[in-house]
Amino acid sequence: MPRFHFDIHENGRFIPDEHGQDFVNVEGARKEAVLTGASIARDAFVAGSAHQVVVDVRKEGSPCMTISITLAVEPA
Amino acid sequence: MTGDAIRAALVRRLRLTSNISEDDIKEIEALPISVRQFPAEMPVVRDGERATDCCLIADGFCVRSKTIANGKRQILSIHIPGEIPDLMSLFLHVMDHELSTLTPSTLGFISHETLQKLHRRAPNIAEMFWRDTLIDAAMFREWIVNVGQRPAPSRLAHVMIELRERLRIIGRVDGDHFEMPMTQEQIGEALGITAVHANRVIKQLRQEGILEFHRGRVTVLDERKFLELADFDDRYLHQSPTL
Repeated sequence: MPRFHFDIHENGRFIPDEHGQDFVNVEGARKEAVLTGASIARDAFVAGSAHQVVVDVRKEGSPCMTISITLAVEPA
Repeated sequence: MTGDAIRAALVRRLRLTSNISEDDIKEIEALPISVRQFPAEMPVVRDGERATDCCLIADGFCVRSKTIANGKRQILSIHIPGEIPDLMSLFLHVMDHELSTLTPSTLGFISHETLQKLHRRAPNIAEMFWRDTLIDAAMFREWIVNVGQRPAPSRLAHVMIELRERLRIIGRVDGDHFEMPMTQEQIGEALGITAVHANRVIKQLRQEGILEFHRGRVTVLDERKFLELADFDDRYLHQSPTL
């Protein structure tokens, strides 16, 4: 199984993933990246500590995909 | 480890958390126990299995967990030496979740038949074990609240403080340090978040000067902030028999 790493950017703050995890395919890694981004965003958006969470997925060390979650609050 | 040492782990905990009498301690010390060693991350009793024994942890850490259809696992509780994490199997014979080891563990198995006879002979022990299972339920309630309502850093702090207060009873807290032999993935499974999110939370708590987590060991750096973050009230652990 290929090894995937999930590096996080929260409002530009970088949190590298030194461990990585094995997934059967890219689809498995995509789900993990979305779950990770959404759960970090849930806390950070509520706390107001960030309005954007980006998860950079690497497959076997090479860039594989980027998932970006942005909060948009528009006053009426 | 001998059967005597295994019974001692249970007796030690019962002496501290209940009003156990010397006669009842003799009953426990006379219990036939079969000792088995388990490697790390090994199922002890599987979901759906029919249990014939209850298992007393003499050494090591175990977890109860449930795995759903998509393969995701939720850790439900962490168990430490001196505890009998599957006491409910005495009455609920088919397991509705799994008990597995976190670390290499020494487990003592007591047959259901033996425990049933003991309960009839020593109703005080039956009541003590009943109380134990009620405290288990109180911990599950707290974990539901934790996973359902708290943000991830508070979830982690809460689970850590709960573990520390239980380890304290068995003399396993060393100043600001205590063991929590879990991987980031396992911590994620206990908190309902991914391993990567767990890693991020651990780093945040270190950056904020609250605690360090390294190789399954927690070092508390700021007790006041740690308690505040965890929103922890130890009432639900019912550790003193007089409360």
